[in-house]
Amino acid sequence: MTKPASRFFIAPSLLWGLVGLAAIALSLWQAGLFRQAVFNLNGFPLLWRFVVASVHPDVSRNLLDITLRASLVTLAYAVCGTFFSVVIGAVAGVFCSEVWWLEVLQANHFRYAGFQIIRALLAFPRAIHELIWGLFFLNIWGLDPLVAVVAIAIPFGAITAKVFSEILDETPRQPLLALINSGVAPLAAFLYTLLPQAFLNLLSYSFYRFECSIRAAAVLGIIGAGGLGYEILLSLQSLRYEQLWTFFYALFFLNGCVDFASAALRTQLGCASRIDLNAHHPPSRNRQNSHRIFGLFPIAIAGVALSFWYIQPDFSKVWSPRSQQLFNQIVQASLPLDFSALPHLMPLSLETVAMSVLAIAIAAIGGLLLAFPATQNFFLLSRVLNRYRGDRLLPHVMLATARIVLLLCRAIPAPIWALVALYVLFPGILPGAVGLGLHNLGILGRLFAEVIENLEQPPLEALKAGGAPDSLVFLYGVLPLTMPRFLAYTLYRWEVCMRETVIVGLVGAGGLGRALTEQLSSFDYPSLGVTLSAFLVLTFLVDWISATVRRSLRASS
Amino acid sequence: MSSAPVISLDRVTFRFGQFVALADVSLHIGMGQRVALVGSSGAGKSTLIRLMNGTLQPTQGEIRAFGQELSQLKPQRLRQIQRQIGTIYQQLHLVDNLRVIHNVNAGHLGRWSFWKALISLVVPLDLPTATNALTQVGILEKLYERTDRLSGGQQQRVAIARVLVQDPLVILADEPISSLDPQLSRDVMELLCQICEPSNRSLVVSLHNIEFALRYCDRIIALRHGRLLFDAPTGSVSNEMIADLYRL
Repeated sequence: MTKPASRFFIAPSLLWGLVGLAAIALSLWQAGLFRQAVFNLNGFPLLWRFVVASVHPDVSRNLLDITLRASLVTLAYAVCGTFFSVVIGAVAGVFCSEVWWLEVLQANHFRYAGFQIIRALLAFPRAIHELIWGLFFLNIWGLDPLVAVVAIAIPFGAITAKVFSEILDETPRQPLLALINSGVAPLAAFLYTLLPQAFLNLLSYSFYRFECSIRAAAVLGIIGAGGLGYEILLSLQSLRYEQLWTFFYALFFLNGCVDFASAALRTQLGCASRIDLNAHHPPSRNRQNSHRIFGLFPIAIAGVALSFWYIQPDFSKVWSPRSQQLFNQIVQASLPLDFSALPHLMPLSLETVAMSVLAIAIAAIGGLLLAFPATQNFFLLSRVLNRYRGDRLLPHVMLATARIVLLLCRAIPAPIWALVALYVLFPGILPGAVGLGLHNLGILGRLFAEVIENLEQPPLEALKAGGAPDSLVFLYGVLPLTMPRFLAYTLYRWEVCMRETVIVGLVGAGGLGRALTEQLSSFDYPSLGVTLSAFLVLTFLVDWISATVRRSLRASS
Repeated sequence: MSSAPVISLDRVTFRFGQFVALADVSLHIGMGQRVALVGSSGAGKSTLIRLMNGTLQPTQGEIRAFGQELSQLKPQRLRQIQRQIGTIYQQLHLVDNLRVIHNVNAGHLGRWSFWKALISLVVPLDLPTATNALTQVGILEKLYERTDRLSGGQQQRVAIARVLVQDPLVILADEPISSLDPQLSRDVMELLCQICEPSNRSLVVSLHNIEFALRYCDRIIALRHGRLLFDAPTGSVSNEMIADLYRL
């Protein structure tokens, strides 16, 4: 890293910001803006009907019954999916952590290479979106709840494994080494030091995964797995907006409860944020409360058991001869791969990247605008801004509105948003980007708000005490302190957006995702293999860019 | 010695919820005085400093700075008063990931317009003032360094340079040397005296170490459990008074 020695030194954040703006401009061009009509004015009456229906959802007895059952199905998918992903994550996470290989197994170079290979292999299940897994297993197992559970468990298990291993690696190692050096068996030392130290962070992340699982379960409904996503799609296709909004509100409520419970738990545990991308995972404070958490275990176990009972996934299908036969058929059908479509993949790849860039731009800008009013401490309780809050109603109203909008945005699955956007936008990557953007806006806004809530107050207090007006406290204090984290979250979410382009592809939003879902449902396995490979390459490329930018920002700004 | 007091507290009480941090404290700080605030941790020194610079408002009693009662002022007017009160904090309170120049220039923020401040974040403005201040505190070579790359002592100097740029009539320093070694502590105390003496600024500095208080200040205010124990010129502070201060 070079020494910033001049007055005209351009910070990397500014430089990357300009690169980002250029990427957005190019993506807009790719989306056809400035070149062709993008708005379909004829669709506005339909959009209006959709909006108006929000104030009178269908509350007939019959539909409420359906809603309740669908909500329980979605919840149960999420619970079972999370259960498996945490189990997979816990086992694989330990085996993928550097500390396990270096300190516990005391690996030599040869074994260390093995560790790196395992870690790299995990990137594959992670890169493929749960929807693709879902469609794949649908072809083998047919419509069974098992499809939804496994489709969540595989990619989420791999992500959880990665995060768990990172948490373990970032937990201070000295206590572990102290025990190993004093002759304690490595495994016992591991169980007595690293695991309890990291436990709260692992638990906190598991709950974050649960929040994600709820959203994934809703999306999987769309491919026919049942639950709220399925009902929403049916109502949307038959233009029954009143019913649609009933399901929306149910999803809204479900997401709200889970987010709220998970946040309350984190406060109990003393974990500041859901996922901390910038820093290490320091051992959580507030230990005295942590033993209470063990009281939750019986409840969690009961919840998992009830969920399995409610959806009754047919596990025998996993090993049944029929499944194996179908699986073999798919493998045989997909070989040899059909590279004839390769030339078409290049423009599709560009579309996909453009869609992800536009989506994250929408999400980041919207999230930024909503995050500040959605923060408890910013306008409301702060000693920093608004010392004289004459009118206390306005901040309350802003807080509630911003939070509701964020929750609504993230509760509704991206493909549903994309379908809504299709009322007024011509088909193409733009409605897909709007759908993904709106959904991720809700998630990003919540993450941003958390950054603001955890903002260090002292530097702001110092600026304020020197007589700086609020606008300048914001410019010289709040902005520089939050921006690096905002950027890190945005980049992380960009990687997610890239993977999620698949799910808006399902509703025809273009790019590789559309090709993938079409090939999957038409059993065109030879082409599918090629498209999937292209998608994987693209995903890894985006991950690499994002990681590079994040590293450069962390090092210098 | 002093004409009208610069800052005065009249029967000030401050409570955090049920906890009484300061009880019934009255005192006046005169122009050009060098005052040490002493007392064990939790005696109310930091609270007193935060009350004096208008960050906190007293639960009871009134605080005047330059004749104006702080709690009665509109935000705009309060900021004008606050520009004349520079504060150096125990925990530095700098914006870590900005470069030193911007933290130093933050001393201008009470006067600068929004646009000037915004432009300065991209191309730092008013370099002469900043270089002058950093030269005075002896770390001019760190001008464009990122603040969190500096050592604790250097960061303390950045905080002092920021106050120099602010150019206030009163400097409040909350335990400015608590985390420094003896040599650095002496340097920082001497620096604080240097920047106050010629311009006849008042200095209020809270100190853990009574030796430093006796050596560098001409008046000692002692707090114990949130109450004023004594307030006397340095010359008349006896060993018994000090022993009484730290008695449990």
